[in-house]
Amino acid sequence: MARMKFLCDADRCIECNGCVTACKNEHEVPWGVNRRRVVTLDDGVPGEKSISVACMHCTDAPCAAVCPVDCFYTTDDGIVLHDKDLCIGCGYCLYACPFGAPQFPQKEAFGVRGKMDKCTFCAGGPEEDNSAAEHEKYGRNRVAEGKLPLCAEMCSTKALLAGDGDEVADIYRERITNRGGRPETWGWDTAYKKSDA
Amino acid sequence: MTKSIIKASRPLALAIVVGIASLSSTGCTQRSEITWHEPGVYKGGDDPLLAKQRDPQHIAALKERLVMGQSDR
Amino acid sequence: MKLIKKRDLTATETNSVVKNILGSAVDRRTFLRRASLGLGGTAVAATLPTTMIQRAEAASAVGAEGDTEIRKSVCTHCSVGCGVVAEVQNGVWTGQEPDFDSPFNMGGHCAKGASVREHGHGERRLKYPMKLDGGKWTRVSWQQAMDEIGDKVLDIRKRSGPDSVYWLGSAKFSNEQAYLFRKFAALWGTNNVDHQARICHSTTVAGVANTWGYGAMTNSYNDMHNCKAMFFIGSNAAEAHPVAMQHILRGKENGAKMIVVDPRFTRTAAHADQFIRIRPGTDVPLIWGLLWHIFKNGWEDTEYIRQRVYGMDEIRAEVAKWTPDVVENVSGVPAADVELAARTMAENRPGTIVWCMGGTQHTIGNNNTRAYCALQLALGNIGVSGGGANIFRGHDNVQGATDLGVLSHTLPGYYGLAEGSWKHWARVWDLDFEWVKNRFDTGYVNTSGDVEEGDAPVPFANPMNSAGIPVSRWIDGVLEDSRLIDQRDQLKAMFFWGHAPNSQTRGPEMKKALETLELVVVIDPYPTHTAVLPDRKEGMYLLPATTQFETYGSVTASNRSLQWREKLIDPLFESLPDHTIMYKLAKKLEFSDQLFKGIKVENDEPLVEDVLREINRGMWTIGYTGQSPERLKLHLANKHTFDVTTLKAEGGPCDGDYYGLPWPSWGTPELKHPGTPVLYDTSKHVAEGGLNFRARFGVERNGVNLLAEGSYSKGAEIKDGYPEFTADMLKQLGWWDDLTAEEKQAAEGKNWKTDLSGGIQRVAIKHGCAPFGNAKARCVVWTFPDPVPVHREPLYTSRRDLVDKYPTYEDVKSHYRLPTRYGSIQAKDYSVDYPLIHTSGRLVEYEGGGEETRSNPWLAELQQEMFAEINPADANDASVRDGQWIWLEGPEGGRIKIKAMVTRRVARGVVFTPFHFGGWFEGKDLLDKYPEGAAPYVRGEACNTAFTYGYDSVTQMQETKASLCKIIAA
Repeated sequence: MARMKFLCDADRCIECNGCVTACKNEHEVPWGVNRRRVVTLDDGVPGEKSISVACMHCTDAPCAAVCPVDCFYTTDDGIVLHDKDLCIGCGYCLYACPFGAPQFPQKEAFGVRGKMDKCTFCAGGPEEDNSAAEHEKYGRNRVAEGKLPLCAEMCSTKALLAGDGDEVADIYRERITNRGGRPETWGWDTAYKKSDA
Repeated sequence: MTKSIIKASRPLALAIVVGIASLSSTGCTQRSEITWHEPGVYKGGDDPLLAKQRDPQHIAALKERLVMGQSDR
Repeated sequence: MKLIKKRDLTATETNSVVKNILGSAVDRRTFLRRASLGLGGTAVAATLPTTMIQRAEAASAVGAEGDTEIRKSVCTHCSVGCGVVAEVQNGVWTGQEPDFDSPFNMGGHCAKGASVREHGHGERRLKYPMKLDGGKWTRVSWQQAMDEIGDKVLDIRKRSGPDSVYWLGSAKFSNEQAYLFRKFAALWGTNNVDHQARICHSTTVAGVANTWGYGAMTNSYNDMHNCKAMFFIGSNAAEAHPVAMQHILRGKENGAKMIVVDPRFTRTAAHADQFIRIRPGTDVPLIWGLLWHIFKNGWEDTEYIRQRVYGMDEIRAEVAKWTPDVVENVSGVPAADVELAARTMAENRPGTIVWCMGGTQHTIGNNNTRAYCALQLALGNIGVSGGGANIFRGHDNVQGATDLGVLSHTLPGYYGLAEGSWKHWARVWDLDFEWVKNRFDTGYVNTSGDVEEGDAPVPFANPMNSAGIPVSRWIDGVLEDSRLIDQRDQLKAMFFWGHAPNSQTRGPEMKKALETLELVVVIDPYPTHTAVLPDRKEGMYLLPATTQFETYGSVTASNRSLQWREKLIDPLFESLPDHTIMYKLAKKLEFSDQLFKGIKVENDEPLVEDVLREINRGMWTIGYTGQSPERLKLHLANKHTFDVTTLKAEGGPCDGDYYGLPWPSWGTPELKHPGTPVLYDTSKHVAEGGLNFRARFGVERNGVNLLAEGSYSKGAEIKDGYPEFTADMLKQLGWWDDLTAEEKQAAEGKNWKTDLSGGIQRVAIKHGCAPFGNAKARCVVWTFPDPVPVHREPLYTSRRDLVDKYPTYEDVKSHYRLPTRYGSIQAKDYSVDYPLIHTSGRLVEYEGGGEETRSNPWLAELQQEMFAEINPADANDASVRDGQWIWLEGPEGGRIKIKAMVTRRVARGVVFTPFHFGGWFEGKDLLDKYPEGAAPYVRGEACNTAFTYGYDSVTQMQETKASLCKIIAA
């Protein structure tokens, strides 16, 4: 089976932050913790591009590799989850993550780290699916209900896609083909040395 | 004659007795209250989602939902 | 490494672990006190997660306990009309799901739409009626509030007349509430009623309706899939209409060329093929510059113009003055860029034009909008799928509120204020016309001095037939010398019913006006900036209204489609739906019987469906007659059957309809007209959504035929132009006997707008004709101050060298009842002391005055501080660094303390501020003036505190896109 993946089409992302608030909404994530963030490069100048970033659910997850209490596990389809009961809040996973996905809720005004929190691909955690305990600790478990991450399902322009990696690639490939002779994908300019009009 | 053999084997018997005694007073045996750390192996709770994700019907449902909701219809 | 085996966490420890994730459980007040050591955002950041309380309930609700009900509504934040699907358990809104079925958003939401569930928490909402007593907010009951407010207002009526009470309504009313509100003001006896459209697209409606008949978006967001070119001018769709970008980008991926014109390099511009940076306020020069190339190269559609356009030659004459070098000098756009854009539009048809506030909010807003129309008419792009004038409206129901007449210059359906219109509505309302007339200040005689011809428009002496004061000028209604106001007395009481004040200009004067009024009533889910701006001790009331999620009704999206909203949850706290409040107040003011005649009222709540049916019985002008509650509910249940590009249902229960029955949906609901997806599209039969330009301006002018020539909608039996349909015309055509006996009785002596049976419309359509006639669009509006659109410099301009050649208007003695200044302001040179152009706009995270969205923690977290975008060069000139506190000061003295964001997004010489912030005034955070527990998380200066005088010459739209300012490091 293919792995679950996110894909953010930077040519459609308009930095509307719909993905960010959809996630906050669904999981009641507290102020200060953003499982998903939109990053904008070249803000305000031609060439501006935005991309939505959260946990990438890496196949060879650095966070899992460095965790001193081994609280991470990966499902068969590639979703990286963790057990908050085991987590000691050391922050080492944040060091290791290339995307800054691990977040630590501010316990008080002076920022003492609590348990690590991160994007769960809307797949909850090691608790009974859709139980109250799972909801309190990890947020909603949409995957168990047969749904996909809300950030992607609510993306305003369908820039953010989430689901079976093969299918996501198919959707994206169709889009690229539709764009046809209007290449705007990343790297195209570099590859074909097109100058900025 | 027997007396001389016993006399000759006394250091050996002593060594054996001392050896057995010292061996039994070390902590080399595995005791139940010690946790053996296996690095890289998940130590948290069980997640029923893992089993669900292996169900082919569930996988198909998720694929269908992706195409239904996230493609440009 | 050997580890000692952990013991299992005990139950209590697990709970504390959970609490640590969610935040500590200390009392919020002590928390904030401790946290206030930090600066603004960080202090708030340390606050408890606000959803603690409801979350606990919700958490227990998740799972097998409560049955999950699915209810459907429509987002309340913008006119795209995204579908909202709510999961409700035990009356609590526990989840939000994407509405994949909706053809408008197909599940998508922007930050605001994705967070609407917070409305169901309402932590910072106004919870119960409050009264300002000795400077403190005290809780009162609804009964007490109604009694006190009613008594005060009746007292003012006795002393100063009904026109001294201002009823400021809302673009966030549902259609039914908007209609009731206009009727409310009418039966109170005043035209001093208005809403956000005045300061949003009023110049659009005036300019566009006066060009070809209706002033609304001609095509739809979905139709943009079919565009070959898209021209955005003054529209930042990526932030103002994010989900519309789904359709725009699909259009772009289908091959459309995208041109964005804006003073800033916006997020929309980031997706454009061509970005044109323009000096604020120079839209007309640019458009005429485009047409200069189009005419020069013969790219215009001459056949289309011959058949369907009047006055293009006069446009040509004006355009001839706008040669490339002149255009470059005035607008700052290089000649090559203008030519490229013109060529792109000419070679890629059909193309659409999109404009928003960037084009409308000027003293010459009506010129801008008409210039845009002229461009599209020249290219033959109107009435074509993939073309059109795609005007993106603002608030979720500003289109509906505009259509239903919450405006000071008209009645529902744009009927106007002439006696004939009042008589029509009196018939619909089943009220005696004389009774309605006598509700007005009939004894008032215009004593505001001589009004000469040439001052446009000439006010009537009778308050019933003269336009009331618009929201952009309410301050002057309070503060201006009462002898100069064309009504008996100044405004003494004002109702801010779903309308914030920080979206209007001239903050310091506004503060004074709010302090001068005898009574201020805010009816809103939130206190708003109104509650905290004035320094008052009493005479202010805050009444909690529900959001649209706690009630139900219909809403009209920008593309004219009506959608039905279901009620998701019961009203929170003590809030009441707007129509219930209207009932209670009308009862106190003793006209509830008339207001709700024919409308069932149960437990003080009027039946929404009955109101829609009354609307259906009276709104013949724009075809709000076919959208019955039943048809709309059927559409709601079958959203998925509508095609995503054409919006047509093929098969299924709604077979043949267009989604939302976009108006005009002619005739009675029994006629089952499918709605008109693309206006003025002659390729279809009128019965199937086709149309042509409206015959509104007469049959002939200066010997030239104003009716269409040889152009008509498919299947029309009159294969040429024709005037609007009247009973007599039917008789002349020999179609009178197609009417039933009942229809004949109702239609005798009437026309297509006043025939309550709908028979005239039905018969006209039966013969393939448009009920409103078939005429040419006109590029010359002979009743406007500038018949042919011309350029005029903004009142506060930095280009003093252009003021002589392109001066503003002369001061007007009376317009919308008030003296209005133009030239006397522009005469003074402010550009030395205030060298920077000040323009304002939107942010995606917030909406309107901002109180609602800034009270939503999920949104507030994303934009925590009010700021100004400043170009690096200007920042260096003022010795200001990125992130520093600055004072931004306007030439009328308003000054705001905000953060500087140094960015190249704005050009040198231009400063941009977002307008959504409120709760501060001139450097002071007004937090402690809010009622307990009802302050938004994020507060900041309102940019309009520093914005200035300047009003459109036709609609009194305010000039918030081109003013002046200076920056000083704080």
